Amino acid sequence: MWKKFYAWLDERLGLNDLYKATLDRPEPKGNWWNTLGSASLFLFLLQGVTGIFLTVYYTPSPDHAYDSIQYIMNEVAFGWLIRGIHHWGATLMVLVVFIHMLRVFVTASYKYPRELTWIIGVGLLLLTLGMGFTGYLLPWNQRAYWATTVGTEIAGAVPFIGGFITRALRGGEDLSALTLSRFFSAHIWMLPALLAGLIGVHIYLIVKHGESAFPDRED
Amino acid sequence: MNEEQKKQIHEKYQRALQKGERFWPDSIYKDLVVSFGIFILLILLATFVGVPGEPKADPSDSSYVPKPEWYFLFLFKFLALYGQLPVIGKVEWIAAVLIPALVLIGLFLLPILDRNPRRHYSRRTLALTIMAVFVVSMVVLTILANIPLTADENGRMTLPTRLQLWAGLFLPAAVYILLVLYALLAKRIGPLTGRLQVWTAAAGSAGMLALMAVVLAIAPAPEVAESRVAGTLAEQIAAGQELYALHCVECHGDDGTVTLIQGVEGLEGTVVSPINSQDVMYTFTDETLANIINYGQQSLGMPPFGKAYGGELGPSEIGYIVTFMRYSWDDRMEMPAEAVVSLPLPAPGEAPSYDVHVQPILQRYCVSCHRAGKENGGLLMTSYEETLTTGDYAGRTIVAGDPNSYLILVINGTPITDPATGEVLIRQMPPTRLMPPEYIDVLTRWILAGMPRTAEDAQAVSPTP
Ligand code: HEC
Ligand code: HEC
Ligand code: HEM
Repeated sequence: MWKKFYAWLDERLGLNDLYKATLDRPEPKGNWWNTLGSASLFLFLLQGVTGIFLTVYYTPSPDHAYDSIQYIMNEVAFGWLIRGIHHWGATLMVLVVFIHMLRVFVTASYKYPRELTWIIGVGLLLLTLGMGFTGYLLPWNQRAYWATTVGTEIAGAVPFIGGFITRALRGGEDLSALTLSRFFSAHIWMLPALLAGLIGVHIYLIVKHGESAFPDRED
Repeated sequence: MNEEQKKQIHEKYQRALQKGERFWPDSIYKDLVVSFGIFILLILLATFVGVPGEPKADPSDSSYVPKPEWYFLFLFKFLALYGQLPVIGKVEWIAAVLIPALVLIGLFLLPILDRNPRRHYSRRTLALTIMAVFVVSMVVLTILANIPLTADENGRMTLPTRLQLWAGLFLPAAVYILLVLYALLAKRIGPLTGRLQVWTAAAGSAGMLALMAVVLAIAPAPEVAESRVAGTLAEQIAAGQELYALHCVECHGDDGTVTLIQGVEGLEGTVVSPINSQDVMYTFTDETLANIINYGQQSLGMPPFGKAYGGELGPSEIGYIVTFMRYSWDDRMEMPAEAVVSLPLPAPGEAPSYDVHVQPILQRYCVSCHRAGKENGGLLMTSYEETLTTGDYAGRTIVAGDPNSYLILVINGTPITDPATGEVLIRQMPPTRLMPPEYIDVLTRWILAGMPRTAEDAQAVSPTP
């Protein structure tokens, strides 16, 4: 019964081909350091899930952001756990993505034919940092407010267009409700969408070229 | 890279695959183990470390020292160190824009810039040593991030500051230059190049770490301004009550009932509406209350408390006070059971001690007036010593074992008068309304027992049953 059902599905979805292409592929002898890429992916997904839960109660306005986080921490069942995982997950994701980059660098896996995988990877690193930067403001506490004030000020050092960049990030001269809504929409829509898309390409390239072999003396 | 080399790479890769494993289940099992481990770690962190609390954003408090997320600290410190340099230190965009942009472009274009086709470590000493020194300098900058940069009276940098410049800027820069120099001279130096690079990078990193250790040892510890953050509702109410006791009791009394201010400089006899009344509680929203505390009502005599208006309270603290008022006085709200904390009372016959019983009472009923900068007959009550030694009538105010100590008389509602003129020298205390009898009793017994300070002292003077 189950087999029949599977055969029916396979005929229309091509599950077997999918399985061969993605899961049943040959790889060079593995290494624990090679798990960091998938760990980054796992953290991205986990941040997505916990983040979606947080948006249920979070309100992106200067008057209510702080209190809504307070509410999540104290009143919502397991709110503290969800926020705790999201908070520490962000820290760990930056760390894991960075160490993943270091391992790719050390094993020289960015060389032919994986140059594009690396270039997209750097984009992923930047986006991950961007997620950290935009997410930091959302709790609207002292730390968030002043770190973002200074962070956006640094952009003002760009010659000629610096002032414009700072104003564009803040949505005005000073941090305000506009800044918060800009950061919020970047944090939950724009950056994650870009990240998801680029991760897709990144992983397509990995499946296409296969995991690189550990370099030996002949390499 | 020519076609021949590409073919070789593909052939070598095919051979590696022959000897290799399958993604499913060989590698994916490792991936799953690591991801699961990370998940457990996150749950532990969320449960046992949690998210540190922070007060609400206060745009007016520009004294706040900004702390970026830890993974940006290295950049932050780099900018700060760079700003110390003479002349070019003033050209901010070099450090804030140019250098990060060059690093990023280098990182993006690495596969194109790095023309070396070899992959084994022994053939890539330049790339590996530069990256190693870069990572070490990031770590050093991150760890030094909290150490302040200081100048002496003559405006010259202090020793710890100069050492930080070496650890975080000069040394790494020198090492990069040497590493590249070796590579350029590789033809002349010959096979020694790689070893030189490794040794230089190792020595440079060791030097950076050593300088960092010295700075950490000699630099003054950065001050950490702890501001109190209350998490749960009960904690918020408790924090609010403490703040209320300190800032509001002098005018509004311990429970907001005062209608005629007494004993406050400049406001003697001012009429106020009781702020615990239904009138206030039903007509004012939390936001209005917070605004009144923030801006004050200058024309009526209520001073502003918000930092932006010259007071000393931040938005979180004002929020706690409002929460306290709401839950204590608004009959539509129910005080959560765990938030009801009554002051500790000694058992009958037990002598009260300052630490356990007296201090909390003074804190709640008296300190609001009896602290520096208020009208209070010179009597300060913020510590044990102060309470016993200060005041215009020190020596008569608190006399061990004497039931006619002025303090005992005034808290029982007997003013002290000048025997000659009959003029009132000290009013009843608190001036507007006496404390509940059980607290009056505690203070009285404390003085009669000789003002024991700690619980042990009190134990020693308690009559043994
Ligand atoms: C120096 C004396 C003083 C201090 C200290 C003080 N107030 Fe007031 N307060 C006043 C006066 C005077 C008024 C105006 C009287 C009125 O409106 O009835 C007032 C009015 C108020 C009102 C509005 C009452 C109304 O009916 O409009 C509130 C609420 C209030 N104060 C709360 C507080 C809180 C909370 C604190 C502590 C942070 C505090 N006050 C500290 C003197 C003071
Ligand atoms: C509203 C402000 C206010 C509060 C609250 C207050 N006091 Fe006073 N206290 C004063 C003033 C003002 C004086 C100066 C004498 C006077 O004006 O009556 C004073 C004087 C005294 C003195 C005489 C000190 C001396 O040496 O001159 C004693 C004792 C005293 N207070 C005890 C207390 C105690 C105990 C409490 C708490 C239960 C308390 N006070 C609460 C305002 C206050
Ligand atoms: C959100 C961030 C990222 C995710 C989710 C991700 C995901 C992955 C995964 C699943 C792999 C295969 C497993 C492995 O080799 O570990 C991989 C490989 C790779 N990644 Fe990433 N990555 C991220 C960031 C980066 C960054 C920042 C770089 C470099 C700048 C990078 C460069 C590479 C390269 C070159 C490979 C191929 C490695 C090889 O074939 O040996 N990635 N990535």
